[in-house]
Amino acid sequence: MGLFIEDYKVSGADTVALEDSIMQKGKQVTAGSRILDNFTSPFNATVVDRLLDGGFKISGRTVMDEFGLLKLSRDDDNTPSGALRAVSEGISAYALCNDLFGRYRGEAPKNDCCYIHPTYGTVSRYGLIPLASSMDQIGIVCKDLSQGFKLLSHLAGKDPKDGAMFPDSSYNYGTTDEKITLGVPRSVVEKADEGTREAIMDFIKEFSSTDINLEYFDLYNQVMYILSSAEISSNLSRYDGIKFGYRASGYTNIDDLYIKTRSEGFGLDAKLTAIMGAMILSKDQYGPYYEKAMKIRRLIKESVKFDTYKVIVLPCRISDDPYENLALYSLAPLAGLPSVSFSYKGHGIQLVAGVKKENLLLSTWEVSMA
Amino acid sequence: MPNIEDYEAMTKISLSEDERAVVSDYMDMLLDSFNKLEDTDVSGVEPLISVLDVKGPMRDDLVIKTISREELLSNAPEQHDGYFQVPRTVD
Repeated sequence: MGLFIEDYKVSGADTVALEDSIMQKGKQVTAGSRILDNFTSPFNATVVDRLLDGGFKISGRTVMDEFGLLKLSRDDDNTPSGALRAVSEGISAYALCNDLFGRYRGEAPKNDCCYIHPTYGTVSRYGLIPLASSMDQIGIVCKDLSQGFKLLSHLAGKDPKDGAMFPDSSYNYGTTDEKITLGVPRSVVEKADEGTREAIMDFIKEFSSTDINLEYFDLYNQVMYILSSAEISSNLSRYDGIKFGYRASGYTNIDDLYIKTRSEGFGLDAKLTAIMGAMILSKDQYGPYYEKAMKIRRLIKESVKFDTYKVIVLPCRISDDPYENLALYSLAPLAGLPSVSFSYKGHGIQLVAGVKKENLLLSTWEVSMA
Repeated sequence: MPNIEDYEAMTKISLSEDERAVVSDYMDMLLDSFNKLEDTDVSGVEPLISVLDVKGPMRDDLVIKTISREELLSNAPEQHDGYFQVPRTVD
């Protein structure tokens, strides 16, 4: 499979590839789904306008998994996603995408790239095809975090078109003199392979560090799946074959049109997520699953205090099972925190900091690379 | 185990037999994993709906031009006389 749906044949240090979930006026945008067949975006996402205003060039639109959904199958296909390949193969300097379930955060270090997942509410979601709205966040694939944060400085800042944003009109990312103390959740790190464990132990030597216990870690993936599937199921309800996108043929009535359109238009992962979300939001399951998961989400958010430590260090892989690995990538979206992932001595490392503490992440990375 | 056909009807999705078998297996796995939630005491905890403590912004109630009718309808699978066209919904 190619990496570009559309390749604009531009190159250079100021090129940015767009994952096919980010709207670009006049271009076909499908989020990797047949259900958006023939959909042409009538406007630019805010991030696209800001890229163009900042003098960046769009290098192309990259292929993606349907809507960026979690794939539960233990996939033998190790081909990196389009956005990752565009950057790792040097075709584009950067790529923008929405990494809800950790695919890009996991793949980036393996492909000599870095990933920046900014604080929720700092980058406009306007024009991003929604997945789980309370967690969606456009992030950056880059070769170098200091360059990636320079790009983020162009993108971040309040947009009146997105109702869930901090009021800051702009952000100037850079390093900080603030003392960095790393929090190391040993029980999580121990789940990683030997090479990653050694790399993390080596990494933390450069800093002061303290052992921490990530409370509720064993519930991260459940809470993440429950809340995201409920939100995704709700967001997928707009695809009905009436106003835009794919419409099946040969229907007998309106109900048949909906059913044929959605059954033919969605892939298996979208069908599973829509059905799981509908079940989780149903009268009998709402309390034990959805409401309880929202309460545990609060407990998770409040449990990471960033008091005796400022940056949490995590591995990028603890299992062959995508559902188990999801736990590693849930803290940032569930608590709205910034994170970065990158390769350190050949192994993937992920750092998570407090709200709007991106500068600590950049400083930690720079010290480790010195 | 919930009846999967009920949720297919709810989501307007009709699974093939093969798809239903796969979805059913994943549902069993997921629901089994959700049992872990039972051990956590959440009494007195308020649900967290949004991580942002920022109050929803208000704007003046002004009519502004966004996307034209023609642009919106250009994405419609079927249209007629400037409207979305759908099958008969009332007998």
